[in-house]
Order: sequence, then structure tokens, then C-alpha cells
Amino acid sequence: MKAPTTIILLFVAVAAFGQTIISGKVTETKGDALLGVNVYIKGTYDGATTGVDGDFSFTTYESDSLILVASFVGFHTQELLLEPESQQLKIELKEEINQLNAVVITAGSFNTSDASKKEVLKPLDVVTTAGATADIPGALNTLPGTQQVGETGRLFVRGGEGRETKTFIDGMLVHNEYSPTAPNTPGRSRFSPFMFKGTSFSTGGYSAEYGQALSSALILESKDVAGSNRTDISLMTVGAELATQRSFEKSSLAGKIQYTNLVPYFALVSQRLDWDKAPQDVTGNFAYRVKTSKTGILKFYTNLSSAVLELYEPDIAKPEISLPVKVTNDYAHFNTSYRELVGEKWGIRTGLSITKSKDFASIETRSREEDLFGFHTKLVADYLHTDRIAIKFGAEVIGRNLDQQLIDGDSLEQSLNERISGTFAEAELFASTALAFRIGGRLELSNLTNRLSLDPRLSAAYKTGEFSQVSVAFGRFRQLATNPILLSDQEASQEKAVHLIANYQWVKEGQTFRIEGYEKRYEDLTRFANIYDPSTYAYNGSGHARGVDLFWRDSKTIKNLDYWISYSYLQTERNYRDFPGTFTPAFASAHNFSVVTKKFIDQIKSQVGLTYSFASPRAYNDLNSEQFMAGRTPSYHDLSFNISYLYSNQVIIHAMVNNVLGINNIFGYEYASEPGENGVYASRAITQPAKRFIFLGVFITLSKNKGINQLPNL
Amino acid sequence: MKRNFLTFFGLLLAILTFANGPFEKAMSKSIPAVFSASNSEELQNVINQLSRIGAAEGNRWEPYYYAAYGYIRMSGMVEKSDEKDKYLDLAKAEVEKGQAIDQANSELESLKGYAIMIQLTLDPQARGMTYSGMAFESFNKAVQLNPENPRALYLLGRMQYGTAQFMGGGNSEACATLSNAKALFAKEAKTGNPFAPDWGKESTDEAIKQICEGGE
Repeated sequence: MKAPTTIILLFVAVAAFGQTIISGKVTETKGDALLGVNVYIKGTYDGATTGVDGDFSFTTYESDSLILVASFVGFHTQELLLEPESQQLKIELKEEINQLNAVVITAGSFNTSDASKKEVLKPLDVVTTAGATADIPGALNTLPGTQQVGETGRLFVRGGEGRETKTFIDGMLVHNEYSPTAPNTPGRSRFSPFMFKGTSFSTGGYSAEYGQALSSALILESKDVAGSNRTDISLMTVGAELATQRSFEKSSLAGKIQYTNLVPYFALVSQRLDWDKAPQDVTGNFAYRVKTSKTGILKFYTNLSSAVLELYEPDIAKPEISLPVKVTNDYAHFNTSYRELVGEKWGIRTGLSITKSKDFASIETRSREEDLFGFHTKLVADYLHTDRIAIKFGAEVIGRNLDQQLIDGDSLEQSLNERISGTFAEAELFASTALAFRIGGRLELSNLTNRLSLDPRLSAAYKTGEFSQVSVAFGRFRQLATNPILLSDQEASQEKAVHLIANYQWVKEGQTFRIEGYEKRYEDLTRFANIYDPSTYAYNGSGHARGVDLFWRDSKTIKNLDYWISYSYLQTERNYRDFPGTFTPAFASAHNFSVVTKKFIDQIKSQVGLTYSFASPRAYNDLNSEQFMAGRTPSYHDLSFNISYLYSNQVIIHAMVNNVLGINNIFGYEYASEPGENGVYASRAITQPAKRFIFLGVFITLSKNKGINQLPNL
Repeated sequence: MKRNFLTFFGLLLAILTFANGPFEKAMSKSIPAVFSASNSEELQNVINQLSRIGAAEGNRWEPYYYAAYGYIRMSGMVEKSDEKDKYLDLAKAEVEKGQAIDQANSELESLKGYAIMIQLTLDPQARGMTYSGMAFESFNKAVQLNPENPRALYLLGRMQYGTAQFMGGGNSEACATLSNAKALFAKEAKTGNPFAPDWGKESTDEAIKQICEGGE
């Protein structure tokens, strides 16, 4: 490389006439000098880079109608025509608003993604959180704003019931997203966290794109086309899994079969329930993803499963008599989505999801059979006017056909055919990189009530410092009444909630602090004296929830240790269902607290995790008390532990224990339907299905590429 | 005398073969500067020059290659990891501009993998799964595009070493790849393109010395 330098010197010496000196200064709009700006004559090599004071100067031999370009990362490129007599140019560059520098509207939402460093959680956190058992809702339950409701496994958000949280995969609604369980035992999400590259968990104030959810939207984004071939074999105390992935030039194919059988586990570890047939389940997942162009992607995903469980449940009044309970479920979910950019400014997204679910549940001779066919189809256009104005708008149809047969002596058949058509529009406006607004609205028409509704959604964020920002959100949300109500009164009014949220967030490399306060008002809740008797229904129930959520995460202070602490304070009351007045519902607890820790220990090649969760007492309606909702459960405590040991490059051993201390948590009480001879209602505590849950698994990866194993999955 | 004559002859030959236009001039000044720049200001200067050359030419991948290489060097000069990330993203963007001109270029693909590999190390816990897949994909593709490219093998070897460090396991695979890279460097011939990348020989020797010798 020495020779060319010498040659250059020769050439430079040759030319020395017909030259112009171009010089000036580049600043940003506020007047601060910019360092490193590339200033040059378009179409030539002639140019220079600005120095610390924003000054540049260079010589050119070009002469007529020159265009000067100033380009700098993070700013809009500027071009200007050079006048022949241009002296000391002053160039002002306008900052570009992009993901890196722009304020983000965070009120109400927790995002996970591996793309951005600003996210609160990483996708991996879902699977490495002790106590979460690799279940997405399980992991999200360690975040503030959620409530420990141990007997359901669902996400109860800010004084909302579990059903008020809706799940969307690639923008498409999923019906019946939890696997079936025995009464009062926690269910799991049907969808494996390994499928997703990003999660957005909103505890309120979410975008106008999402409707029919009163409290919360869980928005999951599936992975893109896979780049390698691999096969994974998992052998676990609860079953086995076989997964394989094939990658082609522009597409990838993945399949997974899971077989779960709790018979051997229940034989070894004593259970509170008297199982006749421990849960057995076969699930198949199939995904095909194809890049249709450089910017387009088409995804297909199917989840098929069949589950059955049978047990004996003692009669509450006469515990010596056991009643047979049977639960079966056949489930199929099909999800397809497509997105593409059209030109520089437009993007389209569209999709279709179909869910078919057949549920059967019986206790002795009473049974309920439900046949659900649900679908959701949507078309969204994203228009980027400039980096300061983005607009999205779209239309969707959500449909659900439900046939129910109740047998309790007589047989009662009911059915429901609902179609909700929605359109929405939302604009995101940046006044600067520090101030952003989102203004949107959602128009919905339900075929059952035949009513048109318009719900506003507004939010804003302001950067208060290099690492901190404040954000506020307001919105109205609605959701159809519960199935039993709709089945007996199709014109049941929709329930509504208004959210008002304000948050402050401070994020610095490896550390996050968040505090969020909210006020939520419920309107038009369903009240009834008798659930199957529409003549007793009234749609004027109301309620509120207010509280403060705190979150602190730190992965920096102690090497190899990552931990987060969540605390939620909730004050909520409702007058709904069969409540004789305004009371705190049974699922709500005033204080929820959790600490999650994760540490990688080099010496033993293992990642260990420890999670502690606490919830203050919950109310329950003690039938033997004269007052409504007079009972209080003890506080909830759980300490869970997990460890992943790297046995070899491609073999990992994973173990976990939930409720290490074996605390007998009580979630509430069930009562006999009639009082006994002494006038007292017999009762039974709702507790955990077993003292502890112990899991052991061996995970083996077969891949040409020896660097890949299932560690990232654990 | 003989030596002077040879130097003169060599110079003349060099002038005749490649110093025959502004592109050649500018490139032969910028390329060494990318490697020798000792601070981020100097480096940005060269990168800007390279991107001017790239934009003015419109059909040469080399300016983008060296601009990308410059940004990779730049990422090593800054402290904060989100700034490192930014420069590595810029490196990838330069690679993409080069690939728009020459799609099946082993050197560009290697460099893309290089940027991804460094991004992976910025947050291995969270990025491990996706980024290691992407980096291996790039390196394997680069080797496939040109099995004789020693830089592709050198980088692949480093990736294999890093993976073994993170996941546990020996260095035999990485060492085999690195020694293949060494062999290719030894016989790497000057191609017709005087601006083709030729870095990496010393780094490979260094890596072999550190990882493989005295170890296994």
C-alpha cells in the first residue's frame, strides 16, 4: 500500500489551476455545531468532513451549477445549489426522528424485543424466569400491574378480570388461548414463548388498533424466516417434545410435536386432587414462513391440540362422596399474516386467524359442551408522511359462533353468532425528538346490539432528560359481556372502561426505573340476580380501579446478576354480577410484589434463577357471614427456583421447583349450595393442586452448527 | 542502481495499470487511511471520502466495503454499547449498499457477519440465539460464495471460538477453521482487482497463537 501514496503526490502536484475553495459551517437547527458531517459536491469526490466547530473547507475544480450536499447520520440530508460567488456557507441540518433518538410512548406498555436496548424485558426473560414455567403469562405476572390469581394462571390486569386481557399473534386475535385444566387449577398459554421474537404487554391505554379488550392487550410477534436447520429433542418429567426446523433460501419450515402426560409425575409426587386420568395432551405446531420480497413476509402458523383429564372431586357438603369430573378439549388455531412495503411511504399488513375449539366439562351428571368457531380478519395500512407524521388506519371483522349445550337434568341449547366490524385510525406526531403525540379513534359496530360506537385513544410522551421521560395515555375500551350473559341475552350491552395513565421512566444502560399511576373507570357492567335468567339483568353496573405500579431492573451493578423488582398497589371496587353493592372483587389484592433474579455461574456452567412473589389477602364471600365479601384469605407467598446446566455443547439439563417452601396458599373458599343441618354452609379451601411443582428435563439439539443448543430456550 | 531501476519500473507499471483515473487515485489514498486512522474524527473523514466515491461512481462495491470496515473500526473506538451498536448498524448499511451493486460478493458478506458478530457480543444473553444464527449464516454464505476467501474463514473461526467460549466445549473446530484460513492467506494471490481486501493475515496468526497453540 506504499506505492499508491507516492503516486498520488505526483498527481496532486500536477493540477493547480481552475480551482474554487468552498467553505462554511454546519449546525443543527438550534445552532450547535455538528462534527463529522460529510459536505461534498454532488456526483464528485470533492468534499470534506466538518471539524469540532462545524467548519469545513475544500477545493474543487468543478465549476458550473454545482449542488452541494451535506449529509450526516441522524439528520436529514440537505442539498443546495452553489452560487458562483458563494462565500462562507451556513448550512442548517434538521434532525431526523428515528427509533434511536425519538421519545417512545410508554404509558401502559411493556415491550420485549431483542432489537432495541431500551426494552424493559428481553424475549429470553420469559423462559429464564423462575416460577414462570416457560409460560408467557407466567413471566408477565412478575411485572407490575398484574395480580397473583394463583388458581387461574391468567393475566389479571389492574383490577380487571382474566377475560379482560386479549391475546393477539401477529396482530390477529386468538380465542381460547389457555389450555384446559381441572376446576380451580392454573392453565397455561397454548403458545410457546420460543415462537416469538417480540412481546408487547399493555396494561392499559393501548392503540386504537386493538379492540374488545377492557383491560389489557398482549401482542405477540412471531419470528421471521429461520436461517438454519436444527432438530431438538426434549425429554421431561411431564412428557416429550420433538421439534425440527428446515431453512431454505427464502423460506423456513418448522414443526413441533409435544406429548404431555402427567400420569408418571402424579404417581411420584403426591397431589391434592384425586386424579383418575391425569392430564394428557398432544399438541402439534406447524409454521411456514416465506420472504415474498426484500421487504415482504408471509407467515402461516397452526396449533392443533387434543387434551383430556379426569378426576374425582369430593362433594363439599359430604366430603366422603367423590364426584367424577371430566374435561376434554379439541383445539385448532390457524393464523396467517402478510406484510409488505409499497413504495417508500406505505406499508400494508393483513391477516386471518381462525380458531375452532370444542370444550366439554362435566361433574357427575351435569355437563357443558361448547363448540366455538372464531375468526378475525384485518387489513391495516401504515403511511409514513415524513419522519414526523405517521398515520395508520385499518378495518377488521371479528366473528364468533358459539353453540352451547347445558345438561343438568334437562338439556338447554343456546347459541350465539356475533360479528364485530371495526375501523380505526391513528396518527403519530412528533413535534421534536423529545415530544410525541398519538391520536386515534376506533369505530365499532356489533351485530348483536346493532349499535355503533366510537372510542377515542390519546397518548403523549415527553423526554425530560437524556435517560428519562414522562408519558400519559387516555382511552375508552369496550368488550362484550361474558358468554353466559350473551347466550341468554344477545342484546346485552357491552361493558366499558376508561383508562387514564401517567408514567415516568428512567432507562440507562442496564438499569430501568418506572413508576406509573392510573385511574380506570368501569361502566355498564352486567348485574344480575340469576345468571341464566335475562329478566334479572341490568347493564348499569360500575366500578373503578386505581393504583401505582413500580418497577426496577438492574443487570449492571453486580456482574452476571440480573434482577428486577415489581410492586403494584391496587384499590378497586365494583358493583356488578350478583354483588349486593360496591365491593372489592375476589380476584383483587391490594399489594403485589415480586423479585426475580437470574445469575450465570461460570464455575458450574449453569444459569440459576430465583423468584419470590407476594400478594396481600384477597376477599371472598363467606356464606356463613352476614356481610357480603367478609372473608379474607391469608397472604400469598411463593419462592421458585430454576437451574439450567450446560452438560455439553448440545445437551442441557434443566430443573425447576415452584413453591420451594411448600407454603399452602389459599386463594379463596367454595361453599356447598345448601346449608347443612346446623345451618352452616360447608366450605372447602381453594388451594394449589400440589405443594410443589418439580420439573426435570433434558434438552438435546441436533444441528450441523455445533454452536446451537437449547440454552437460549431455557 | 538495479534496485532504483526496478522501483522506477514498478512505479511505472503501477501507474499504467491502476493509477489511471480519479477512482484509483482516491481509493489508493483512502484504503490505507481506513486502516491507519487513529481516532474517530480521522476515521469519519475517510469514511465520508469513501462514501463520496461510492455515491459518485455508483457501480463499485469497494468504497462501501471500506466504509463498512471503517464503521466496524469506529465501533471499537467508542465506549457506550448503544453507540457501538449504531456504528455497526451503519456498517451493515454500507454493506447493503455494496451488495446492491455486487450481490454475490463473499467479502461483503463476511463483513456483514463481522458486524453482526460484534453486535452479538454487546448483549450475548439476549441476542445469543438470533444473532449467532445470523452471523453463522453470513460466514457460511461468504465461504460458499468464495471458498478461497481467507477472511471469511478467519471470521468464521473467531465466531466458532466465541461460541465455544460462551457455550462451553473445545476449540478444535475453531482451530481447524483458522488453520484453513492461514493456509488460504499463504496462497492468496493478488487478483486483478488492486482494491480487493487483503487484510487479516496477521490477525489470523495472532488468533492461532492465542487460541490454538499451547492449548489443545
